[in-house]
Amino acid sequence: MFAIAWIAGVAFGLRSLFHYENGPGGIGALPTSWPATQIERATDRPTLVMLAHPHCPCTEASVGELAQIMARLQGKITAYVLFVKPKETGNDWEATTLRRNAEAIPGVKVVFDPDGVEAQRFGAETSGHTLLFGADGALLFSGGITALRGHAGDNPGESAIVAIVNNQTPVRTQTLVFGCSLANRPAAGPPAQCLK
Amino acid sequence: MFEMSFGATGANYSAERADELYEQHQQLIYRQTDRLFARLMFFQWLAGILIALFVSPHTWFGPSSAVHPHVWAAIFLGGAISIFPIWMTRVWPGAAATRYVIAVAQMLMSGLLIELTGGRIETHFHIFGSLVILSFYRDWRVLIPATVVVALDHFLRGIYWPYSVYGVLSASPLRSIEHAGWVVFEDIFLVISCLRSIREMRSIAERTAALEASEQGFRQIFEDAPIGMGVVSLDESFTQVNTTLCQMVGYSEAELTQLTTMDITFDEDIPQGRQNAEELLTGGQRSSVERRYVHKNGEVLWITRTACLMRDVDGQPRAFLIMVEDISERKRAERELCESKRELEAVHHANQLIMDNSQDVICTMDERGRYLTVSAACEQLWGYTPDELVGRNYLDLVCPEDRQMTNTVAEIILLDGKITDFVNRYTRKDGTFVDMLWSASWSETDKILFCVAHDITERARIEKALREAKAEADRANQAKSEFLSRMSHELRTPLNAILGFSQLIERHDPTDAQRTRVHHILSAGRHLLNLINEVLDISRIEAGNLQLSLEPVCVADAVEEALILIRPLAEERSIDLSTSAPLDQSVYVMADRQRLKQVLLNLLTNAVKYTLPEGKVTLSADSAGAGIMRVVVTDTGAGISANKLARLFTPFDRLGAEQTAVEGTGLGLALCQRLMHAMNGSIGVNTTIGRGSTFWVELACAQSPLAYLPPVKRNGSDSKSNTVQRTILYVEDNLSNLTLIEQMLADQPEIKLITAMQGQLGLELAKQHSPDLILLDLHLPDLPGWEVLSRLQRNEATRAIPVVVISADATSRQIKRLKAAGARSYLTKPLDMQDFFRVIEETSSPRLTEECAA
Repeated sequence: MFAIAWIAGVAFGLRSLFHYENGPGGIGALPTSWPATQIERATDRPTLVMLAHPHCPCTEASVGELAQIMARLQGKITAYVLFVKPKETGNDWEATTLRRNAEAIPGVKVVFDPDGVEAQRFGAETSGHTLLFGADGALLFSGGITALRGHAGDNPGESAIVAIVNNQTPVRTQTLVFGCSLANRPAAGPPAQCLK
Repeated sequence: MFEMSFGATGANYSAERADELYEQHQQLIYRQTDRLFARLMFFQWLAGILIALFVSPHTWFGPSSAVHPHVWAAIFLGGAISIFPIWMTRVWPGAAATRYVIAVAQMLMSGLLIELTGGRIETHFHIFGSLVILSFYRDWRVLIPATVVVALDHFLRGIYWPYSVYGVLSASPLRSIEHAGWVVFEDIFLVISCLRSIREMRSIAERTAALEASEQGFRQIFEDAPIGMGVVSLDESFTQVNTTLCQMVGYSEAELTQLTTMDITFDEDIPQGRQNAEELLTGGQRSSVERRYVHKNGEVLWITRTACLMRDVDGQPRAFLIMVEDISERKRAERELCESKRELEAVHHANQLIMDNSQDVICTMDERGRYLTVSAACEQLWGYTPDELVGRNYLDLVCPEDRQMTNTVAEIILLDGKITDFVNRYTRKDGTFVDMLWSASWSETDKILFCVAHDITERARIEKALREAKAEADRANQAKSEFLSRMSHELRTPLNAILGFSQLIERHDPTDAQRTRVHHILSAGRHLLNLINEVLDISRIEAGNLQLSLEPVCVADAVEEALILIRPLAEERSIDLSTSAPLDQSVYVMADRQRLKQVLLNLLTNAVKYTLPEGKVTLSADSAGAGIMRVVVTDTGAGISANKLARLFTPFDRLGAEQTAVEGTGLGLALCQRLMHAMNGSIGVNTTIGRGSTFWVELACAQSPLAYLPPVKRNGSDSKSNTVQRTILYVEDNLSNLTLIEQMLADQPEIKLITAMQGQLGLELAKQHSPDLILLDLHLPDLPGWEVLSRLQRNEATRAIPVVVISADATSRQIKRLKAAGARSYLTKPLDMQDFFRVIEETSSPRLTEECAA
């Protein structure tokens, strides 16, 4: 009886945890091409943009995966990590380990996005949302580069980006994004659909 | 036999014990691993919480944040996963269910931690690590639920979260298979490892069981050993002891293990004990020493302690193994043996001293008669040194004439074992002979003849001289006896006539003048007769020929008779003669009746003679205690001076009385003393000058002879009649003697006297008249009197006639010889008339009685 109760309780807890882990964040209105933004897009190579919350623990995995992508695609892309900084936050609010990790990735430029203006332009509502634009400015990929919330390791997003940059056909061009909400309230919209 | 059965039993025990040990070991591992996981679970729970707080403390919504779900998951889900298995380790430690729950929980915890760490690849090692830790159980079956959980996790994630890494929509669909493959890969080796561990555990269990069985065997040997055994630490404390050792020293095992060996070691042996321990510690292999232990009751034990050093696996000294054997009995036997040896040596030394200093030859011989050892005396006695004799046959030195006899004696010794007082002659080195007295004994065990030879040459010479001297003395004594007998006969014969006729004259109304003369004749004759008698008595006593008839004698009768005899003399001398008190008729003493009366008469006569007229002589008889009766004669005479007392009992010494008018021979007291001694009595005197003397004699009391006699029923009348005619035949060649008897019996009309002056005639008359009594003289002209007596005895007709011998030969030997030949009585000359008539009455009465009866 104890064992059954235990199994049931643990199963419930695990299910809840896994449900949370697999619960994707919201995705805003995605641009189909490079939006009008202050960030400079590379024209000779694809440009990768990741929108991130400086304090989101889940995004640690996304930054880690970005490091993997940058290592595998050395010099083939231009990468930006835009850390959203809400207006009401202090001066050093964005000075986090996550930021320092991102800045440490070779080839990655860290840009601050005061009040999430740029994030809105890129249609990102969840930290870790990554977009890949071609040299011509077309949106080639959109989604998270972790398999689960805060989970490092191989994932469809990373595989897709690497494949696209290497002129291969990715399995999918859109993935779920797992991370904290960039806005004040969690995104309530439906999960983003993979792009064919 | 013991080893075989022990071995078989040990093998069985080993298999069962191996299973038991294996299960115990396995259970121990299960429990230990359970506890390990319990702690690990708790640690993982805390670690999960910390990781969650560190890695993802908050979840963010723009500028705002909230507690991250990971934190809640770490706290609650982690707790849920951990607490139940932790509880099971407490409730069912070692149970299979506990292990399986732990396996499941551990895998769930791996999943949780992976979630909490953001799926870090490093955290995935937790799964593999957990599997490895689960293999600590050495139960490969535990890996199954763990693996199932991992697989199920992947499977369910893939189904329910297809976008997850294990989902069908993942970037690498085969990742879950690969992942599971690694788990299975690891499981395979872990299973192999577990199985190998199990085999090793079983092997260890079997070895341990075998070791235990072996140890049990050794322990049993240790416990049941007949000698004391113990394990002693390096500081000499007992750590293990067996029963025998406990019993040996009287302590219980618990008591003994609280002591050190020095506590039970005799004080004087402690330094030696410490030295032995040091020697062992400094390289000695084994020590075996004798020392003393002190029993709990204080008794000192001698023991043999054998000790060796026990070392650990590194070769370092660990303890001493001691084996203790009680040798008290052996020590006691050794002491006794030592004492016996000392005594033997002392005896040997004494023997050697005897051998060296004895004047006799002490020697040993073998069964062939050859000297083995000879004492030093042989050189002095025989002229040979011991070295000259050893190996020689003893017969070589025996006088040739004595060799045959000596050989015969030697054979007797071998048969009987010993002989004493054997005399032979030995030949000295110088050729002279020496008389040797031999004592010898034969030891059949040792086959040795032990001999002692004493030189009796001088003794033989002295004995020979003594024999010759004795023969000479015997001859002289015989001559003296013959002289006394002859003198007695020759003196008594004339005295018989003198006194006899004097008495007859006195009885036939002599005139006053004749009476006076007869009185003088009788007095002188009696004095001479007393003198002769006393001389003969003393002679008999000194020659040891005095014949005494010791019998119970009534003291009162003897005293009364003596008083009657002495009273006339006392009255003549106006002496008051009396007894101090009436005498007890029941008091008897052991004495010769006549001799006792003789002694009393002598003492009374002396008292009367040496007391002045009007004096007083008193006689008394009292007990002197201790069964002794004392008869005392007290006079009021002049007393005896002290310087004369020493000569009082010397024969013929009258102490100066010969200068007085008192008649005497000086033999009376001397005779009294000898008679008293002959009757086992004593005599003494107390005297005071001017007041008188007290003479006393003492004799042992005796039972009255009447006490032994049955009461005699008397017929009420005296059958004796004076009117019965009796015939007496008197055979005598001396005419005066014949006349005397005829005149003595003239006043006895009932007696018819017939006489014969020759022996043959007497025999004829005896046959012819068959007299009632025959009076026989010994000196007859034709036949000796004893021959006449013999013929009378041989003749049927005269054999019954009583014969009274009348002879002047008063020697006891003669009297004894003739009584033995058949004489009824023996009267000595000169005849005492009263005695004569008494004998006549006594000897003729039986015949008269028979006639009256007829």
